Order: sequence, then C-alpha cells, then structure tokens
Amino acid sequence: MSTISLKIEFGGGLELLFSNQRSHRVTIPALVPASGSSGDSSSGEEAAKKPADLSYLISWLKDHLLKERAELFVENGTVRPGILVLVNDADWELEGEGDYQLKDGDEIVFISTLHGG
Amino acid sequence: MSCGNPVAGADALMQRRKKYDKTKNCLKCKVAQGNLVIRHAVYCKDCFLPLVVHKFRRALEPTVNPTPDGPRRTALKPAGNLLVGFSGGLGSSVLLDLVHRCYVALDKSTMPADGGRDHPRHERVWKKVTVCYVEVCDAFPGMKDRTDEIAQAVKRYDELDFMPLRIQDAFDRSWWERIGGRPLPSELGVSLVDEALLLESLSSPAGDPLGSLRTYLSSLPTPTAVTTSVQTLTRLLLLHTALQTGSSHLVLGTSLTSLAVSLISGVTQGAGYNIREEVQEEWTPEPEACASPDGPQPEDEGTRKRKAGKRTVRVVRPLRDIGMKECAAWAWWARVPIVGKEKWGWAGAKPGIGTLTKDFIVGLEKDYPSTVSTIVRTCGKLAPKGKVSGRCILCGRPAQRGVQEWKSRISIRSQPAPPSLTTASADYASVPTAAAVSDLLRPSLTPYLCYACHTTLTSKSARPVPSPWPEAAQSPVVTLPVWTEARLSSAQGGDTEVAHVHGEIMQTRRVGQDEMKGIVDEFLLDD
Repeated sequence: MSTISLKIEFGGGLELLFSNQRSHRVTIPALVPASGSSGDSSSGEEAAKKPADLSYLISWLKDHLLKERAELFVENGTVRPGILVLVNDADWELEGEGDYQLKDGDEIVFISTLHGG
Repeated sequence: MSCGNPVAGADALMQRRKKYDKTKNCLKCKVAQGNLVIRHAVYCKDCFLPLVVHKFRRALEPTVNPTPDGPRRTALKPAGNLLVGFSGGLGSSVLLDLVHRCYVALDKSTMPADGGRDHPRHERVWKKVTVCYVEVCDAFPGMKDRTDEIAQAVKRYDELDFMPLRIQDAFDRSWWERIGGRPLPSELGVSLVDEALLLESLSSPAGDPLGSLRTYLSSLPTPTAVTTSVQTLTRLLLLHTALQTGSSHLVLGTSLTSLAVSLISGVTQGAGYNIREEVQEEWTPEPEACASPDGPQPEDEGTRKRKAGKRTVRVVRPLRDIGMKECAAWAWWARVPIVGKEKWGWAGAKPGIGTLTKDFIVGLEKDYPSTVSTIVRTCGKLAPKGKVSGRCILCGRPAQRGVQEWKSRISIRSQPAPPSLTTASADYASVPTAAAVSDLLRPSLTPYLCYACHTTLTSKSARPVPSPWPEAAQSPVVTLPVWTEARLSSAQGGDTEVAHVHGEIMQTRRVGQDEMKGIVDEFLLDD
C-alpha cells in the first residue's frame, strides 16, 4: 500500500488547536523522505525513503491539520514537553517514541497536560 | 551498535537510551504488556488504574481524622465537610473524579480488596462535599469566563454542591459579611508606590470590587507579583469558603509536577519559610476578623474544643505523588472531560517566575522524569529555621520572626535619607493604640507581612512593566483584600488587646547619610 490510514485523537485541550475537533482520520504516505521533511520530495534525484514514523506524522499534522499556535504542539522537531502520546493505547515511550513505524489502522492519541491544566 | 564499534558506519548513531527499565511487560503483574511508562517503570492499564487510586487514598486518608491515626487504623471520621478546590485544570479534574468515585459514588473498583475494619462502611466519610471554583477571568484582559462550562462539568457528578466565586470577591465587603466576617469600618489602603508600604486612608470610598481588584493588580511591581497575588487571593477565598461550608478539609488538585513547580517557584520568591505549608497546612482564621453575632456565651470545654476544631481547615493535596503524565493517562482512560485553564498574561508582559519554572520542570519531566519527584522529596526533608511570629496579614501563612530586620541589614534600600533625624522618640509598639501617631513612624503594612509577601509587593523590575489594566484608575493608595482590612481595622481599634504580629517591638530609625558613610567607611575602596 502506498498510503497509511490512521485515527488521530486529541485530548486535554489540544483539540482547540485542531479545529476544535477531537477525532480525525488521516491518510499519509507509507514511505516518506528520509530527511524528515513532510513536504513533497523535490524533483530531480531520488531522495532516500523510509517508512513513515511518528516523527513524520507529527510534522505532517503540524503542516496539514494544525490551525493555530504551532508552538503549543511542536517544539524542536517533536511534540512539546507535557504532551502524552499513546500509540494503540500504549505510551509511545514503549514503542521508541518518534521512531515508531506507523501501520495501517493505528490509533494515535495526543493528550496535552498543559493548557488543559 | 556502539560508538567504539569499527564495523559501524560513519553515520552510525548511538542507540537511543530506553525510557523504561528492563522489559515492556508490566512491572506489577508481570504478565500483560505495558501501557504506560512512569519514571522508568512500566505498568499495564489494569494495574495502573488501581495504583492511582491507591496513591490518592494513601495521601488523603491519614489526614482525614483530626488527630493522625495511630498504629491501629481507625474509621475515617473527619471533623467537618469536604471542600474541593476546582480550577478546571487537569489535576483538579482528576481529583474531583477520584473524590467522587471513592467517597460519593462508592465505586467498588476503588475499594481496597480486603475487608475487615478498613472496609468502608455504608455511611459516607464526608457528609457534604462542595466544589468551589474561583473565576479569575476578570483579573486578566481578554480571558474567557468559564463558570458555566465548569458548572456543567461538575454537574456530571451527582450529590456535589457547586459554589462559584469570582476573584474580585477578595475585595467585596458584602461577600465578606455574607460569610460571617466582621463589618469593615475603616477605609484603609496601602501605598504601593515605594517600599515603605504606608497605610493611608482611601481618598474615596472603596470602589466596586472589580475596580479595586484591577487597581490592586495594576499597582504591583512585576508580572510575577501579579501571578503570585492572584494565586494567594484564590487560596484565601477557598479557605474562607471552607469555613463557610463547615469544611474541615480543603483538597486541591496539585499533582507531583505542579507541586515541584510551586515549591521551586515559591522558594525563588522568598517563600522558603513556608515550604511545608505548600504541601500541607492547617489554617485558622484570625479571631478578630470574625463576627460573633451571639456574643460571648457560657461554654463547656467540649463545645469550645469542637468549635475550635470546626474553625480549622486542613489543606491537603492528595495527588502530590501522582505526576502530570499519570493524571493525563487517568483522565484519558477514565474518560474525565477537562474544561481547561487559560494561560495568565497580558500584552507586553514577560513570563514571570512561575511560568519560567513551570516550563523548566515540564521539560525536566520529559527528559529526566525522576528528577521531578526528587525535587518534591528533597523539599519534604527541609525544616525551615527561625521562630514563627504570627501569620501574614495577606497570605495567612506563618511569618518568620525578624525578616525586616534582616532585610534592612543586607539590602540596599531605595528610600532617600530624610533630613537629619536622630533616634525616633515614639515607641513603635504603642503606634496602633495611641491616638497621636508619631510623624516619624507612620503606620505601614510591612510589620504584618511575611517575607515573601513583602517581596511580592516591593521587589521592582529594572524596566517599566506594562500594566494588565492600563485604563484602571492609577491611584497611589490601593484597597487591600477584605481579610487584610479586617485585621488592620482590628489592630487600629482600641478596645481589644493588640498583639503585634511579630511579637516584638520594632523601631525604625532613619539614618543620615553622614552616619551611614561613617559605618561603611573602612570598607570603601579608594577610587
């Protein structure tokens, strides 16, 4: 499959940054540029590809779904401190954090502990 | 793959250090795969949820009975009702949920598995549980009023009373009288223009509470002072509401993370003396502040003791062993909706000490999670030195004896030296009761304040600080919170015995420039 379909949920107030919508369904490419940018690969030489991982998803969400205040979601290329990430109901720290390779049908939850509290 | 491995390519990265110890299986049941990592320990959902309940009960239940439990666990019989301080944030939402499950709904899944004497009876521990919310939106420009949303969130839980307050109630004399406070006769305010904190009569009668609040906040020297003051006002409003509702206990949703923030932030602002109170405290209102409509009545020892007991509020933070991350996981898995809190700020204001500390601690929790609990554990080992000298008139916490004397010894004061004065002739202790106040020693708020509150009111920024309410009346003399006014007016009165808050006679002597130079002369460097 060239794309991966994911269910994304936002909690703890983060939904306010994403059109005030808690639940989203997104489709992202299965293979993405190895450099980590979520933009389209530039023309010309073939860029190295890697399977889409959580780091890619985070920057994809920032570029495509986030409506405002990017600094409340991302910082230094990853989610801002104070945001809990669950992958299929498990802490992303158990799955290698940003390096976790996404699979079709995964459910990713982002819960803010900050402006929610 | 290690750095020293010659086989690895030039781009080989050091393997990322695991965020958890040993395996991905639950540390407790050892069977299920883990769902959450807490400070390097892995737990599955089924073990995590009861663990949170256990930590909550462990932090709260030993504080329920008026005297701490002995070696034999006795039934929980608090002296009064329970007040839950609710801010809409993550911690207080989780707290409310746990309080309701454990003590109102009597959710069986939260009960200890074993029966016996420890097993909850059918009768409730708390006869009445009230949820108090203090709306602070009027203190900060552009902030949304969340009272209705909060009311809806609390309504989800049955059998809870809801009591909404507004932050400006702290300046509302009618609120003060409604909760049983003595009517305030005088119109005293304080000048926040300089460090002297002189008490003066208000030029016009105290305006509406909202105006008084905004003028007070606008007169504070720094954004840090504004944030700290709003927090102090909120805490005192909750304490007085606890009295009003006959509550012997006030519980707050301070998580382990938030506690680390408030401990460090408090110490940096000079509140180290009250480091223990920041975790747990017993608060009693000042007697002269309270109205006694029935007048003195013959009482037996038991009644007096019971009454005295009722008028003490124990402030407990049952989530103090539960980190922010654990609260978020609980809120998600237990489906607790979070209303949320807005950031406190206004145009042009730089982040204060509280905000900076929170950013730092939250960052620490992500990268070095164990350090946050180390901060709280270490602060718990501290026992401040120095004798207590009454309670601060602003924040209600024990004040350390001798702070003003120490401050004058070590700091460079900005007050200009007045024209040649020798020792003041008036005895300072007689100032509150003497009809004629010496011109040299005008009444000041300073002797009634603890070190932290004095610093909050006087520690100025080097640069001009934008006011949150520039259009608020810039009055040189501002109204004080009602509980402060109550104590001041009682101190000014002649019929009751005056106990100077520091229990000592302080004499302030203004020193001429020549005398000051004489003292430091031998230490001055030659140009």
